[in-house]
Amino acid sequence: MIKVRIPTPLRPLTKGQGEVDAQATSITEMIDTLNTAHPGIKDRLCDDTGELRRFVNIYVNEEDIRFLKGKETSLKDGDEVSIVPAIAGGSSCQA
Amino acid sequence: MADLVIPQTILDDMVAHARELDPYECCGLLAGTNGAVTHIYRIKNIVASEGAEKLSSFDPAKAAHLERLSPAERAEIAFVMDMQDFSTAKKNIRNKGLDLQVVYHSHPHDPARPSITDIKIATDYEEIWPKINLPIPAYLILSLMDKSKPDIRCYWIKGGTVSTAHITTSN
Repeated sequence: MIKVRIPTPLRPLTKGQGEVDAQATSITEMIDTLNTAHPGIKDRLCDDTGELRRFVNIYVNEEDIRFLKGKETSLKDGDEVSIVPAIAGGSSCQA
Repeated sequence: MADLVIPQTILDDMVAHARELDPYECCGLLAGTNGAVTHIYRIKNIVASEGAEKLSSFDPAKAAHLERLSPAERAEIAFVMDMQDFSTAKKNIRNKGLDLQVVYHSHPHDPARPSITDIKIATDYEEIWPKINLPIPAYLILSLMDKSKPDIRCYWIKGGTVSTAHITTSN
């Protein structure tokens, strides 16, 4: 079983859960499995061509999958996957 | 006592970065050890590189993390880090045995204070840093409101609360 950490903005899709379990042997399979359980999540992570969006990083045990084998990165039982949204900010609307 | 010590050369580099991207915002990371900054990493701002027209039409599906923001807050998003650049920097920081110290960005037309959006996103990120094995950084904002006299200020943003992080400049 793979443990997947879901960032706050995506939790509406996981009924508020910050961590979900997935049975998968690769990132591609994990995304498909997540999308079956939580429809819509794949669109948030991948663009129309299926590539990971530049607004998102996926880390497997703290390593960015871009430095592993991308979406073909293999997963094994006990791996921890973190979905991380891009750091962003704005300039007006002073607090 | 200073929370952070930043070499003048790195401050100069940040100001140069901000001026290069003006009127867009620049963004990046500072790394070092125990509050002593030694390295700067410029990160591509997707908003600046893809053009302002994208700013008002952020596809919520593309920028999922912006969904929690109100339309007004979303419209004022001015920088989004290219996460490929971010990961490259993160890897380099780790390989050098350094820690992330600061996330910086510029405010070309506004004061060097965090916006509501800055605070909201920093607060969301608070729980992410430890999961990717990085300490919670200070947030540095560089204002170019007075073009001839950039104003640089640094903050801690924790639990939605902003406090000043004191900077000392070294040579």
